[in-house]
Amino acid sequence: MEKEKKSDSENPLKVNRRHFFSQLSVGIGSLALGSLLIPDLFKGKGEGLLGQELGIPHFAPKAKRIIYLFQAGAPSQLETFDYKPTLKKRMGEDLPESIRNGQRLTGMTSGQSKFPLMPPAVKFNQHGQSGAWVSEFFPHIAKISDEICFVKSMHTEAINHDPAITFFQTGSQQSGRPSMGSWMSYGLGNENKNLPSFVVLTSRGKGNSQGLYSKLWSSGFLDSKHQGVLLRSGKDPVLYLNDPDGLSRSDKRHLLDKVSSLNKIHHVETGDDEIESRIAQYEMAYRMQMSVPDVMDIKKEPESVIKLYGEDCQVPGTYAANALQARRLAENGVRFIQLYHQGWDQHGNLTNEMRGQAKDVDQASAALILDLKQRGMLEDTLVVWGGEFGRTNFCQGNFNPDNFGRDHHPRAFSIWMAGGGIKPGITYGKTDEFGYNVVENPVHINDFHATLMHAMGINHEELTYKYQGRRFRLTDVAGNVVKDILT
Amino acid sequence: MMKKTNIKPWVGYLIFGLTVFLVFCLIFESSIQLPSLVAWLGRWHPLILHFPIVLLVVAIFLGLTTNKIPKLLLVVATISALLTAISGFMLAVDASEKGDLLIWHQRLGSAVAFLAVLWYVLVTLNLARTILIKVLQVVLGITIFFAGHYGGMVTHGEDFLALPTLGNKSNIIPENPLIYAHIVQPILDDKCISCHNGNKKKGELLLTNFKEIKKGGENGEIIDETDYKNSTILKLVHLPLEDENHMPPEGKPQLSISEIQILERWIALGANDTLQLSHLNSDETLVGLVRKLQQPTVKKDWSKLPEIDDEVLKNLNSNYVNITRFANQSNALNVIVFTAPTYNDSIFIELDPIAKNIVQLDLSALPLGEQAISFIAKCVNLEWLEVDKTSFTDENLEKLKGLTKLEVIKAYDTEITDKSLAVFENFKNLKKMYVAQTNITINALDAFKKEHQNISVDAGINPSIETFFVVKEKDTVAVKKEE
Repeated sequence: MEKEKKSDSENPLKVNRRHFFSQLSVGIGSLALGSLLIPDLFKGKGEGLLGQELGIPHFAPKAKRIIYLFQAGAPSQLETFDYKPTLKKRMGEDLPESIRNGQRLTGMTSGQSKFPLMPPAVKFNQHGQSGAWVSEFFPHIAKISDEICFVKSMHTEAINHDPAITFFQTGSQQSGRPSMGSWMSYGLGNENKNLPSFVVLTSRGKGNSQGLYSKLWSSGFLDSKHQGVLLRSGKDPVLYLNDPDGLSRSDKRHLLDKVSSLNKIHHVETGDDEIESRIAQYEMAYRMQMSVPDVMDIKKEPESVIKLYGEDCQVPGTYAANALQARRLAENGVRFIQLYHQGWDQHGNLTNEMRGQAKDVDQASAALILDLKQRGMLEDTLVVWGGEFGRTNFCQGNFNPDNFGRDHHPRAFSIWMAGGGIKPGITYGKTDEFGYNVVENPVHINDFHATLMHAMGINHEELTYKYQGRRFRLTDVAGNVVKDILT
Repeated sequence: MMKKTNIKPWVGYLIFGLTVFLVFCLIFESSIQLPSLVAWLGRWHPLILHFPIVLLVVAIFLGLTTNKIPKLLLVVATISALLTAISGFMLAVDASEKGDLLIWHQRLGSAVAFLAVLWYVLVTLNLARTILIKVLQVVLGITIFFAGHYGGMVTHGEDFLALPTLGNKSNIIPENPLIYAHIVQPILDDKCISCHNGNKKKGELLLTNFKEIKKGGENGEIIDETDYKNSTILKLVHLPLEDENHMPPEGKPQLSISEIQILERWIALGANDTLQLSHLNSDETLVGLVRKLQQPTVKKDWSKLPEIDDEVLKNLNSNYVNITRFANQSNALNVIVFTAPTYNDSIFIELDPIAKNIVQLDLSALPLGEQAISFIAKCVNLEWLEVDKTSFTDENLEKLKGLTKLEVIKAYDTEITDKSLAVFENFKNLKKMYVAQTNITINALDAFKKEHQNISVDAGINPSIETFFVVKEKDTVAVKKEE
């Protein structure tokens, strides 16, 4: 856009140096003027770029809370929901190399020269209007198959328990990241300010089990108030919550008021926000002294509910008791209720161990769905049932159908979900005829996380936390919402 | 060709500077935030935009007719076009979300400014060839027309400039619609009449009004009242898309499955123009289809909820009352009240100012009193109500009759009886009700379910399933034995 006065030259395009600079200055001046309209232009991308206000869903959520029934140790998909008659037909044959296709093995089967296919240890039947296949280990879940969505195409990257369960819980195989429940608590805040927003309940079956450790429900680099609170069975669900003998509730109140006023003085002096959060936590603990015993007390449950979950639910520390507890916590506004049932690691004696494990969880899991449904809570409560990976379609060790085990298998496994924005009565994804590889609609753990967050009204790409110089999220740099299973 | 006027050099700099500024603004649009004073300058856009339109049109007119354009006119026109584009840009930065109209208006408006600058530059540099300038003038004229047109639509609405006969479409379906006039004809209007109207009468068929529809086209009647499946219109609609005779033709907007179902049911029911929704039995599929069409208007109402301030919410939130926005920046609220040790109904007095914003209200397990009930009645936009595990009674529910937007009611474990069913019936948008463990009798409930199949009624766990859970059969797990 150069121009000049006619007298300067014959050729209008000929520009001398002086004119060039004077015009350049106008151009640069305009740019400078424009740049004033961009705040933080020279600040670099700093803090405060978190595009999202915390404590509010990003869009209207379908689910307000999640109950995660984690089956620790990894139940076999081939004895639960993924029916593979081919394994029976080709029983004892070696797994074709074209199917195994270089899949790495654990130390427990890597020495094997043969991988004989092992048929399911239990019969399967189709159930409900959806015609879902459920093994006879799970007669109660079979009854509610029209309420749930089976995902048969889960896959993960880890092949051993610790990295696999850590991946499921935190979105990373290495420990240190916040747990899924902590992310939800961080993004959505408490629903009930008198209870923690993330609660953990554990139980243990008789099967071969793997450890559980508090890092699975740790808040990682997030504020520690988002950490999962382990509720123990027995007299003191939360350790150190009760007052010592002789301290009355009014004394306690008095004590807290005094401590808090001292803390406030200190806060004014130092301006440290951690002090405020500590005051808030003392207050919450004080209210939890009232609310926790109330929530944990199942004596008020009517006989019909006890029978629904099974008599076991009266025995503290059982899976059934925890399932009933989970419903009570959900009713009282806990956002994320994480159950773990240990004992699903069947490297041997699979038939007997799985039968026992299934007996522990089958009725109570199904009862939870029915109970939530009759209370209208299945509308906004999402229930998930599943382990950290699948199991091999070949047996571990020598071929012996009377007593066999299955090794870890990350490439394909089944879970189910119900309620809270998930389509009921469908089966999503498919494995090949050997139950070894996913052939249709694979769902990676990152996708699973993204979908859960979506149901809770969170855009998984926007809920971030900046730590050690970069922003983290539960799905890190991956994850696609599985829209097909959402209502 | 130009009149030589002595124009000061700073004018050239001004035009150059403004052009650079506009280019800069357009490139960095997403990161620009305007100080309020500058944003205010944007408000001048509607005023100054008239200058470039008039001046440029005059300049184009002169250019095309006489070839003599005063340089001064071109200068003023160009500067005004630039100022208009920049002010318009400032006005648009404030718009929360840009619609297609606005985006096009902005592009075309900027194009006008740039074309004007180009014209000015060509003239100034004496590079103007007559033919080049003529083309430029014509293009500029057309651009001005469309920029102005989109601008007009942004201000006055998309339909403002539509021809009167095409602009009378109303999408609002009344509570008890005429099936033909309110449901069927709009479908035809949407998908069929672009080819079957008075101006373009494909197959001699008019689908613009009831009489013509009955009359049919060149191949005779399109509706067969005696055997609806035999109706030509349905046959053509059901043909595979690849078929030459499929309607609407491939490439045109197709009828959705529910639209086809509506047509089918309407014809099956006699294809007349007097049929109303209330004439139909509740088990007629058409009822559900129509109800589905009526729904979207309800959801959109969220945007009409009164504004609510963050500060207000913060003050109302307490340890036992949880109030959250439904989503970011939404004025729809979700309110949960937990049982405080010192609960009493008076907490609802404080919530009074936000009653209209509450879309979901959870009062389960509270010792509800009269005050609470009259508060619920004030929440006119309520879609979701939980009063389960309370002493909620028929009289209480009766008081909530006005909550027409209710979709979900959880009233299990309360004291309501058969009387309440009459009230439930009145909630036109009701989709789900939970009434297990109440005094409602099985017979009354069965009759209710039969009559209202669009409402899903949950009265507890299916007894046959419950028996399976409660009665323990020993060793239900069959383990496969090797044969």
